[in-house]
Amino acid sequence: MKTQKKNTWAIFWAVLAMLYFFVPMLGTFIFSLRMKRGVLSFQAYQSVLADSRFLESFRYSATMGIITVLVSVLLLLPTVYWIYVKVPWMRPAMDIITILPFVVPVIVLVFGLIRTFGRPPFQLTLTTFGTDILMTAGYVIITMPYMYRAIDVGMRSMDVRTLTEAAQSLGSNWFQVLTQVILPNLRIAVLSGALICFATVMGELILADFLVRPALGSYMAGIGRSKAYEPAALAIISYGLTWVCLGLIQYFSRGSQEQQLTGR
Amino acid sequence: MAQLELTNITKSFGGTIAVQNFNLAIETGEFISFLGPSGCGKTTTLRMVAGFEIPTSGTVTLDGVDLTNLPPNKRNMGMVFQSYALFPNMTAAQNVGYGLKVAGKPKDEIDQRVDEMLELIQMRDFSRRYPNQLSGGQQQRLALARSLAIRPKVLLLDEPLSALDAKIRLELRQEIRRIQRQLGITTIYVTHDQEEAFSLSDRVVVMSRGLIQQVDTPIQIYNHPASDFVAEFVGHINLLPVEVAQAKEGLVRLGSQLIRAGQFEHLNGRPVRLAVRPEELKSGFAEGANNLTGKIESVTYLGAIVRVHVDVDGHLVSLEMFNERSLNIPAVGQPYQINFPVEACWLTNGEKE
Ligand SMILES: Nc1ncnc2c1ncn2[C@@H]1O[C@H](COP(=O)(O)OP(=O)(O)O)[C@@H](O)[C@H]1O
Ligand SMILES: [Mg+2]
Repeated sequence: MKTQKKNTWAIFWAVLAMLYFFVPMLGTFIFSLRMKRGVLSFQAYQSVLADSRFLESFRYSATMGIITVLVSVLLLLPTVYWIYVKVPWMRPAMDIITILPFVVPVIVLVFGLIRTFGRPPFQLTLTTFGTDILMTAGYVIITMPYMYRAIDVGMRSMDVRTLTEAAQSLGSNWFQVLTQVILPNLRIAVLSGALICFATVMGELILADFLVRPALGSYMAGIGRSKAYEPAALAIISYGLTWVCLGLIQYFSRGSQEQQLTGR
Repeated sequence: MAQLELTNITKSFGGTIAVQNFNLAIETGEFISFLGPSGCGKTTTLRMVAGFEIPTSGTVTLDGVDLTNLPPNKRNMGMVFQSYALFPNMTAAQNVGYGLKVAGKPKDEIDQRVDEMLELIQMRDFSRRYPNQLSGGQQQRLALARSLAIRPKVLLLDEPLSALDAKIRLELRQEIRRIQRQLGITTIYVTHDQEEAFSLSDRVVVMSRGLIQQVDTPIQIYNHPASDFVAEFVGHINLLPVEVAQAKEGLVRLGSQLIRAGQFEHLNGRPVRLAVRPEELKSGFAEGANNLTGKIESVTYLGAIVRVHVDVDGHLVSLEMFNERSLNIPAVGQPYQINFPVEACWLTNGEKE
């Protein structure tokens, strides 16, 4: 009897939560279909997808997202590994340093970047390439908390130090240890970090706004200010994108579980 | 000349000295154990041999070549860890073959060697399993095979059985010895378990607080411990406070009772202790032996062994006897006579640790 009662409540709360999440989404979705008066249609979506600026900004942000992920992994993976193996007492300090991007507002970061690199001797804002370097640097900093934590959790789930020593005693150098032993066991962690990074870059708008680059975030904000139905369609598209990302994380982690049946 | 030589090795971490003045020469094919309580520097010494730590001073030489500063991946030594440290992303076969792959050996050769090694540890049927699909004992056997696959010159094991349960530990201990004999590989085995060290080793290095206390065969260490520390750490021992009665006769007094303990001019006049192992003590009276009388304090049945504590003039003396049917131990509080041979005891003036 008692468990049944509990179950009823559990279902009640679950339904409530679902409603909280899905009713606004459903509302947005239905609204996005109402561009043509009187009928439901995908007109708004067509309008969005037909806009060359949308595709351009999408391509730009996706490229930046991939570059950010690559730079971020190349930077953080060896660093975190080094900290685990050589200076484990640095870990609390790293936890604090990597959380700083959450504490410092993006707007402050942007002004800092522009003030430092907007004039000689390190002027980078003159060319689009230089500005893109600044963008990447900014994105890497903004997404660092996610990437660092993903890698950190992955490293914590194995005995990095002993595995390293085992590989070394079998003849591996540092590079071989990192690529053949550590990285394969971090695949899921790095992948989920990468997808969160990518999604963040796709939605970021302040950095691009101030550095005047055609990013998806700025485009969406602009549309939101000037049109009615298209922003709703865009919101649904970006929801979809996020779900695809989450689906990919799920898919890849399942793949690894089949390979190794239990825990670690 | 010895194959592996550790000369005047000292290692300090910041202010603390982990290993001090360590000297040891190991012959080819010898099985050596480092035995001592936790924190005495066994692991640190082993890691200096493996190359994971650089000695603060002193040298490590292998076949006459100084490798004190050589990185671990250039030393060609096999290492087995307490936590197995198998690569979770590789199958059993891939784990065993990893060292050969790194060395750039051709695939045929790797496959053949992996087969051979899995055969050696009797785990051929498990070649495609991942480490987390194997039991602890199987994982450690695999780790052993992996370290041996590269044909190392020296095999190093750091408490390899400590994470396993008693029965598997015993099985694997015998297996390690069998494989070591079969391959004739020089081996250093770190343990805090005296039984493990004694049953496996040709020679045992007993350590305490970073210092070597004694290096000898198990039998010599047990019967002729170099210090009170060794005597107490290895097996059980009675260390009884005695007074010198007649130095010339070699007589000491425990309470009011005389004990013949052999020559002890070197200890003359100083407070001394009498050392005798519990299994040397017998019940009853024996002509020509040291005889003591006391009262039964407690009797403990440990299975095959019965431990009896006897109060001799206020000092507790411990006996260990086989639990035989004929054994007839009086009740607690009853008078009891015990004896032990003169040769079985010795005198020390060491401080109790
Ligand atoms: N990396 C290290 N940094 C500081 N102290 C250490 C380090 N490794 C070992 N020690 C110290 O050295 C001593 C010996 O340690 P260890 O060799 O691990 O002992 P054992 O293996 O015999 O238990 C201990 O006091 C330990 O705290
Ligand atoms: Mg140790």
